[in-house]
Amino acid sequence: MALAVLLLAVVPGLARGQSGDVVRAERNIKAAYLYKFAGYVQWPDIAPGSTEPITIGVLGADAIAEELATVTVGRTVNDRPISVRRLGADRALDDLEILFIGADEGGRLPELLSATGQRPILTVTELEGALTSGSVINFVVSGERVRFEISLPAADSRELRLSSGLLAVAQRVYRR
Amino acid sequence: MSSRQTSVHRKLLFVVLATTAAALAITGAAMVFYDLRTFRDTWIADLTAQADILGQAAAPALEFEDPTSAHAYLALLRAKPDIMGAAIYTSKGTMFAEYSASPHAEIEFPKLPDLDGSRTVRNGLELFKRIVNDDEILGTVYIKARYPIVERLTNYLGIFGAVMVLSLIASVLISRQLQKSITQPILEIAAVARGVVERRDFESRANKTTSDEIGVLVDAFNGMLSELGDRTRTLEKSNRDLEHEVGERTRAEQALQTLNAELEERVAARTTQLEAANKDLEGFSYSVSHDLRAPIRAISGFCTLLIEDHKDKLDAEARRKLDIIAAEAGRMGRLIDDLLAFSRLGRKALEPADLDMAELARSTFERLRRADGAKPVEFRLSSLPHARGDRSLFEQVWINLLSNALKFSSKRDSPLVEVGGISEESEVIYFVRDNGAGFDGKYAPRLFGVFQRLHNDTEFPGTGVGLALVHKIVTRHGGRIWADGKLGEGATFHFTLPKETADGRV
Repeated sequence: MALAVLLLAVVPGLARGQSGDVVRAERNIKAAYLYKFAGYVQWPDIAPGSTEPITIGVLGADAIAEELATVTVGRTVNDRPISVRRLGADRALDDLEILFIGADEGGRLPELLSATGQRPILTVTELEGALTSGSVINFVVSGERVRFEISLPAADSRELRLSSGLLAVAQRVYRR
Repeated sequence: MSSRQTSVHRKLLFVVLATTAAALAITGAAMVFYDLRTFRDTWIADLTAQADILGQAAAPALEFEDPTSAHAYLALLRAKPDIMGAAIYTSKGTMFAEYSASPHAEIEFPKLPDLDGSRTVRNGLELFKRIVNDDEILGTVYIKARYPIVERLTNYLGIFGAVMVLSLIASVLISRQLQKSITQPILEIAAVARGVVERRDFESRANKTTSDEIGVLVDAFNGMLSELGDRTRTLEKSNRDLEHEVGERTRAEQALQTLNAELEERVAARTTQLEAANKDLEGFSYSVSHDLRAPIRAISGFCTLLIEDHKDKLDAEARRKLDIIAAEAGRMGRLIDDLLAFSRLGRKALEPADLDMAELARSTFERLRRADGAKPVEFRLSSLPHARGDRSLFEQVWINLLSNALKFSSKRDSPLVEVGGISEESEVIYFVRDNGAGFDGKYAPRLFGVFQRLHNDTEFPGTGVGLALVHKIVTRHGGRIWADGKLGEGATFHFTLPKETADGRV
């Protein structure tokens, strides 16, 4: 229902192309997508049926973190509650299921990604070419729409399994 | 095969066919109803599953707003040609993706999605199915599919019709064989019954082939037939006896008639003989009388001459004896005249005329009184009916009856002669009454014979022919005559004449 409200509020804004609204809409959509991704990913260390919270770490995108925290209140994905954690530059990138690295931290993206090593963390970025740096999912804006691209090798290396449904709706899937 | 036999066959066949058809129709209707319901349920369940799969597949597309992949999923429906069209709506109710099987037939998709469920529309079935993920409604799948219930029903009816036809044919074939056990004995009874009616054949018997009700019927029929045969034979025998008896009676009657005819012939012959004899007798008496007349006249005449010419020479005694001879000769002459008149009556043809009987009676009475004239006589004459008869003969009747009355009453102090008549329905009756000597009633039948006299000739002279003459005249005119009286108390003579018939004959 929250998504419906969100879309109702945001999409006309996109259509109108007003820059302030566009920025806010893009941010909201990305926030929504972030937690929705959780429904299409299987983590190797989490048994099916677990009710452990899914922790989403947000780095370098405070507005998105704020939005995400708002929309995920009371929400579950596969019966798992969602916990949003805003990360500082020095914070360890452990105990995360999803890590979003905002455009603000784009400069040290390779460094940040490598810091996560091969741990099963779904890394999401919003920087063009980020997939080559080891990101699994990267937001791209195509026209006025927020789309994303996926790198299957990155997911494989982190032992993440992405559902075919997610792959189907991705703008592009890199398979090697 | 007669129409009656056909009718039994047909009726049984009709029963079998009607039963079969009814059973088939009920079974068929139940099966069709059940199948169509099942078909609908299955079809809806199938489409619901389809919608579910579609929804689950399209869930990411909705979540990540990717109509392209939703379109791709919808396009997979091409594998199911029964689905005419489908659409996916967002949770807001706006159209997200749509698909129609035929690019030409544009499908009118609903503006807004409906609640979960299905409904039949004009040309198919519509179904809505919500897409739910983690208790969140992501959108709605809409499917419009063909609902080939009419085709299915038509197919069913076709199959049902074929089954019906085959079943009925089978029923006809089977029942034709099985019927024989029922109809054969009945037909046999019918054949025997027809034999009875048409040929009066009471000897045939129906064969008993079964021991069921038809067997009982056959037994009863045979029993009745034998009873009927017995009765018919008895009746025919009694008829023959009766015919024989009637024949005998007819023969007896014929014999009797023959006998009667013979008898009549013999009577007629005898009558003819008698009439001839009578005629001969009359002829004889006429000629005798006629021949006697001349000698008597001679005797009478010569007596008169003797008395007149030789009066002086005869003494008193001779004269007395001559007078007696003359008187006797005169009497003999009168007797012969009377006899001649009587016998002439048998030969004379009647000359009928209208007679004024009162006038006739009066003139006759007066003539008689003039001839006799001595003593006064009271004469009572009432009005007499007219009659039809021979005038001269009836003058004779009145002369005889009235002279008799005068003669026999002449010795009374105051003689009375009364004449009367009355007209009855078919005859007229006349009577002449006097207060004279009368007669003994027991001699009445003898009064009218020739020469029959009840009184002494010296007391009341007469020839004894008069009443016989009257009797003969009246009888010849078809009338009757009779007399009654008592000795010393007068006598009454009645005679009748038949009334004139229409053709003037008496």
